[in-house]
Amino acid sequence: MTHPDLAGRPAEDEPVDESDGALLDEIREMFQAADPMPASLPERIRFSLALRGLEFEVARLSVEDGSVMLAARGAEHSRTITFDSDSLTIMVRVDSNPDGTVRIDGWLAPAQSRTIELRTMAETLTTDADDGGRFAFRQVPRGTVQLVARAWPGPDGPGQAVVAPALIL
Amino acid sequence: MYLARPGRLCTGVDSQESATAPAQPDRGTRLEVLVDAARNGREDAIGEIVTELSPLLWQVARAAGLSTSDAEDVLQTVWLRLLTHLDDIHTSAALTAWLVTTTRREAWRVRGTGRRQLPADQDWLAAIPDQRPGAEDLAVAADLRRELWAALGQLPPQCQELLRIVAFVPRPDYDVIAAKLGMPRGSIGPTRGRCLAKLRALLASSAEGTPR
Repeated sequence: MTHPDLAGRPAEDEPVDESDGALLDEIREMFQAADPMPASLPERIRFSLALRGLEFEVARLSVEDGSVMLAARGAEHSRTITFDSDSLTIMVRVDSNPDGTVRIDGWLAPAQSRTIELRTMAETLTTDADDGGRFAFRQVPRGTVQLVARAWPGPDGPGQAVVAPALIL
Repeated sequence: MYLARPGRLCTGVDSQESATAPAQPDRGTRLEVLVDAARNGREDAIGEIVTELSPLLWQVARAAGLSTSDAEDVLQTVWLRLLTHLDDIHTSAALTAWLVTTTRREAWRVRGTGRRQLPADQDWLAAIPDQRPGAEDLAVAADLRRELWAALGQLPPQCQELLRIVAFVPRPDYDVIAAKLGMPRGSIGPTRGRCLAKLRALLASSAEGTPR
């Protein structure tokens, strides 16, 4: 779709010339200085993408308890977090243990007895949800973790693995 | 089974500069090779793409009005979704366009849920200098830069967003991205050329000694 403008030039952009390029370079440098991406973010992303050869659905972070949001990262409080994918909702509550680790209680909706993995920086913890879709990890080290609900056969046909974005506990 | 790699934990001294340098001539080819490798399951390849393009996607998410924590979440979601779409993406321009478009869509989705405090409009430009210590450094760095900052703030919000994003797009992909951003949701949107022209006009008037 092109719309000629008043000067009769096409509305589509002409190629970037040198002075345009210099101006855009300047704009980039300003935003790089004023609002840089957190330096640790690519590492967190790479961690969450280390899912070699796995077919999966992506679960989005859909609800995070507002009252604890401000203290969410590295907080002492309990947090409730909900992840939604097309076929599955994963709700988790994170509580602090006295020893500095955290406890994670989770529920799957619809309820299903999938195997749940919790990837941490050091290892992958595994547990099975019960028939009601409940699962728990009692001692989880603080740091970056990622929940994966493994694929399962299911009564209504196979369900794909569901992968959530990594969290910082 | 997945292997976590604690040895690669970020040290916090990552360079912001290195990841978004203007294009090298062979950049497109290199990205295409990386996409092929990622499709074949090479984790290091997807990791390199993440390093290269995340700074752009950060600006896209922030320009859409997301808080920093929402922007972090959205970037992760976008990259995870990319893993499930690799079969459809073959060129560097298509990769960049898919990532930018998906980031904007996910950002709008987050804003639409209203699950967090979000700015009502895209006045991120005004907000940024207050959000970090050392904003004064930016302001005093150079008169020219201060004028540019002020001029950007006077552009229509769509132009601000477009120029902010396009500035982070490697040059060979400018046109594809600018075309994608230029026609938002059915309206005749700004184009890069028009936004740059407006910006130049504002800079020219400020250079003529008409400070605001």
